[in-house]
Amino acid sequence: MRIIVALKPTYDVSQLKFDSEGVPLLDTCPVTLGEADKCALEEALKVKGSLGATVVAVTVGQSEAHIKGIKDALAMGADEGYIIKINNAWNISSITVANAIARFAVVTGPYDIVFTGSGAGDTHSSIIGPMVSALLGYRLVANADKVEVKEQKATAKCTMEDGTYNYEVEFPAVITVTSEANEPRIPTLKAILRSKNMQVKEIGPEQLGLSVEEYKDIKVIKHMVERKRVIMEASDQKSTEESVVKLLTFLKDEGVI
Amino acid sequence: MNYEFSEEEKRFRESVEEFCKRYIEPRWVEIDEKGHIPLDLIKRLGEQGLFAIPVPEKYGGMGGNMTLAAIAVEEIAYHDPAVAVAVYTLLQNGWPLALSIFGSEAAKQEILPKVASGDAFFGIGSTEPQGGSDVAGIKTVAKRSGNKWVINGEKAYISGVREISELPEGGGYFLVSKTEKAEWGHKNITDFVLLPKWHGKMSEKVKPTVYDEIGRHGISTGGFKIEDFEVDDEFRIGEINKGFYYVMEGFNIARVLVAAATIGSARWALDKGAEWIRERKLFQGKPIASFQGVNFRFAELYAELEAAKYFVYRAAWMVDNTYLTNSPRFKPRDLDVPVALAKMKGPETATRIYEEVLKWLGAYGYTKESNVYRGWLGTFSYTIGAEGSQNIMRYVIAREVIGKEYVSHTG
Repeated sequence: MRIIVALKPTYDVSQLKFDSEGVPLLDTCPVTLGEADKCALEEALKVKGSLGATVVAVTVGQSEAHIKGIKDALAMGADEGYIIKINNAWNISSITVANAIARFAVVTGPYDIVFTGSGAGDTHSSIIGPMVSALLGYRLVANADKVEVKEQKATAKCTMEDGTYNYEVEFPAVITVTSEANEPRIPTLKAILRSKNMQVKEIGPEQLGLSVEEYKDIKVIKHMVERKRVIMEASDQKSTEESVVKLLTFLKDEGVI
Repeated sequence: MNYEFSEEEKRFRESVEEFCKRYIEPRWVEIDEKGHIPLDLIKRLGEQGLFAIPVPEKYGGMGGNMTLAAIAVEEIAYHDPAVAVAVYTLLQNGWPLALSIFGSEAAKQEILPKVASGDAFFGIGSTEPQGGSDVAGIKTVAKRSGNKWVINGEKAYISGVREISELPEGGGYFLVSKTEKAEWGHKNITDFVLLPKWHGKMSEKVKPTVYDEIGRHGISTGGFKIEDFEVDDEFRIGEINKGFYYVMEGFNIARVLVAAATIGSARWALDKGAEWIRERKLFQGKPIASFQGVNFRFAELYAELEAAKYFVYRAAWMVDNTYLTNSPRFKPRDLDVPVALAKMKGPETATRIYEEVLKWLGAYGYTKESNVYRGWLGTFSYTIGAEGSQNIMRYVIAREVIGKEYVSHTG
């Protein structure tokens, strides 16, 4: 079995700080593989352990963070690691990213499964997996909280807004995995040392027949909600009861409830 | 000269950090409060490959080195500033390495894989009730009887006494003993592997006691009486009457890691202090970090911590690049000063940082809620002893630098 895991290094939003104007301080924020992406890799490594598989980690971009992300994947246990050499990868359209991964799958394939995180830690658009599936013509299972892979097919439990769905899917398939799916392994020292001499392979857009579309006009939109500082008195039984009524009226007027 | 960690060392530190955030940080206060490192955590540390890091792979070790072991111990102490888990880890790296260097093939094959997996403990049994610094003055005696040795004596202030009884396999010590009779001197000492519990079976000939300590409660300290305990000759460590030299080299290994634990904990304290002095505002909204009485002291302590780090990693680097590689330009004693510098500077820097951070936190710092005291008491332990007291470190440095004809403890 051959498996691709598509990975994206993202800002670790849990460590993101903002300046006094509310602008995120991206330069000081660590960049790391997103949690859901790590879970996607873990699913692939579980298949490797149970059924035997070659796990190929790939990312779109050539920055130090992209190279490190792939090296981290190799240390976790991926067999091969690729960067698709696109400049300014933070600033390309989602369809370009999806196209790059799909073309990579065609050129280096065939593959049985493409695993990816259900959403990136920063943008969380959740569209790369479905786009790759459409471009490749593979079946799609999105937002899997639990995955079980057998020889020719996989079952997955997916939590959607309206309930939980259980799917069975034959290969080839794209499966996007949530950060609830598993507890990704932490590379051991032996694994880190073993991966020391593993090469991060490079593949250029021209080898994949790709045209790269960059985002043009990027606008930073701030979502700032002004505080209204409405204070209601609740110092005794009477004022508390009155305030409850006032609070409910206020929240209804504001459209909160 | 290269002051940067390698890519693999950085990646390893990140992996240990991730491990600690997941499995240690949420539990460190509970570990100190309950006075117990959960056995599932010990097993997990073993599974993650954080024990026996510098031990060769053929003995179940990780095939790493002392720099990597120091990174692991420092990072664990950052996430367990009370340092119990870090100390447990350092013991499971330092003394297994010493055994892998001096022990018999049979002892190494038998013991080290079980230590590496987390199923057994292996520490040091040197100190006795009458003292720890005077190794030449120990009174425990091993007498030869055919192909066995019969050991009698008493050890005190020993780490891991309770853990040995709790672990599924058990464990033991790098035991330091007099050969045949208890006369003062360093040329009549032989070391042994003493296993009070092995294959899950506790010997009745070793009677342990656990002490009630004031800090770093998670790992036990205690003593044990040894009565006619028989050890096979193949569990003798190295040559007869060379044990003093082996244990001194073992101390040098372990001291590096003790110092690494203290700087990890100190780094946590200084980070916590920095966070507090940025946030805490006085006198019309000025952060207390804006006052020179605070920020100058911060700078001084930061410099001390950086110096301590350099001592630790320089000593670890020397162990890796001279001692463990048997460099022909090198004698084991060349490690004495670099290691003593690290062991002297690390714990003393840590306690100084804790004292100051406690003051920055004001009355809150003096509450149990702040948890700062846990790290203070934990690291303070290592200004007293553990693989050599602070005065022994001073003695080693003075003796080697000024000259032993001027500085000698034997007059």
